Amino acid sequence: MNTSFKTALLTEDTRFYNEIKAPNMQEQEVRLNVYRNNVVVSLVDALCDIFPITETLVGEEFFRAMARIYLLDNPPSSPIISEYGVGFSDFVRNFDPAKSIPFLADVAALEQTMLTLTHSEEYDTLDHEAVSSAFVSVEDPGKLQLNIPPTTQILASPFAIGSLYQAHFSDGHQRLNKVDIHKSEYLLLVKSHLYAQLHIIQKEEAIFIKHLMQKKSLEDAVPDSGLFDLGETLAKLIEWNILTHIE
Amino acid sequence: MSPVLSELTFTQAEDTPHSSSFAKRFRSRSGISLKPAYYQLILSELPDVGFFEIHAENYLSKGGPARHYLQLIRQHYPITVHGVGLSIGGEHPINNQHLDRVAQLVDETQPEVFSEHLAWSSHDNTFLNDLLPVAYDEATLRRVCEHIDQIQSRVKRQILIENPSTYFEFNRSEMSEIAFITEMSKRTGCGLLLDVNNVEVSCFNHGHDAYQYLNNFPVAAVGQIHLAGHTTDDNSTVPLKIDSHDEPVSPDVWSLYQYTLALTGDCPTLIERDGNLPPMAALIEEANMANRIRESIQPLEIPREHVI
Repeated sequence: MNTSFKTALLTEDTRFYNEIKAPNMQEQEVRLNVYRNNVVVSLVDALCDIFPITETLVGEEFFRAMARIYLLDNPPSSPIISEYGVGFSDFVRNFDPAKSIPFLADVAALEQTMLTLTHSEEYDTLDHEAVSSAFVSVEDPGKLQLNIPPTTQILASPFAIGSLYQAHFSDGHQRLNKVDIHKSEYLLLVKSHLYAQLHIIQKEEAIFIKHLMQKKSLEDAVPDSGLFDLGETLAKLIEWNILTHIE
Repeated sequence: MSPVLSELTFTQAEDTPHSSSFAKRFRSRSGISLKPAYYQLILSELPDVGFFEIHAENYLSKGGPARHYLQLIRQHYPITVHGVGLSIGGEHPINNQHLDRVAQLVDETQPEVFSEHLAWSSHDNTFLNDLLPVAYDEATLRRVCEHIDQIQSRVKRQILIENPSTYFEFNRSEMSEIAFITEMSKRTGCGLLLDVNNVEVSCFNHGHDAYQYLNNFPVAAVGQIHLAGHTTDDNSTVPLKIDSHDEPVSPDVWSLYQYTLALTGDCPTLIERDGNLPPMAALIEEANMANRIRESIQPLEIPREHVI
């Protein structure tokens, strides 16, 4: 019976109505509609919470209509709502009415990644003092291996979606429409304490951090480029609180 | 009581210095829903609240702020865990992977109470994010009892099951909601969470008398009471009350609550709020209102701690 109940909730199908105690079909529908409304509105609200920047970019009305179409075909499989919406960015990419915003799907994917990262496990990180003492305690710091959380991700984006993300969360100091979106960016997505953090980094820094994630020693991790400043980059990693241990 | 349960020993919170004072506090002072917007204020002001209730499904991540703040708040307050995703009324077996995660949270949190709903929410790998009604027939009763047995065995404690708010009744139901709940509690040994707002909402929607419903409710099994607000859908076909949890407790529910306490005796009470969140002080004021009503109630001969 729950198969037809479920179908009735996600479609206009009326076959379930005869299970409902009511004097006529109109009343059956009004009663069932409370549940239809609960399911759709709660899931649209959940998608609004998960994708706030995507919503801002297209406007509330457009987003809610798009989210409704998505959820009716792609309801959650897990009772943990923060895990919902994994396929939403792919849906947005193929959603014709949204194609005038070519970076919209990338923004949705970024929001999903950041939320998943926030809900991932935490790692203890080293403060400035602990990093310094690791460096002075060895003869050749070049042989040190610097570790960052294994959940860290580096993205190369053809659009400035990192700037967009930061503008959204900057308490209104910057406006989304002031961001020059047609600019490529390298993004570092990393868990620091309780939340995922997004940092816009240089290409050379991206290569360096990739090398650290591949467990290369400090000297092997330094990219072959005159534009890379090791001291400055290490200072950033310490400031961002993302070095978990040094060996 | 089922054979499975008779072999089980239900353990309550470990006997630490905290646990006995927490148990007393939970029993004597009313609590409120724990919401992220209140985390900082709770830790900085440590308000006089009996306990905080969490939705299990919001605290199952490996990391992130929710779990972190729960651990901090847990050090100062009793916690109750309220599950919304086990789909006890579902037609398929309980999702074991999800049950394991919930059981781990219960084990880590050692709540005063772990409760769930007489409802379903998952079917064929789809989670519908709502508490959907079940038909009151023997087949459903048997399935619900199997699921409750399985959950109680896994979490190694008694759970409380909440009476639902519903918007339609099933043509195929063979018994009343009260008869179903009474039998469910008898067969599984589960306790009951009496949601007084749900009584008001369901009775209004089905043309039943809420006071009569309470007179027939198996109050001896009640271990906790929920109070919440509802809204009204004034459509011209059939006016309905909607269990929205986004308004203060309504005057009719306060009256029902007073009547309920006369039947149950003093009972741990939660002010449940999920949407349209007011400043925390407003919820605490509602909890204090519940406390004032509770103070005027004579304790029953059997103290409540022997029930839960």
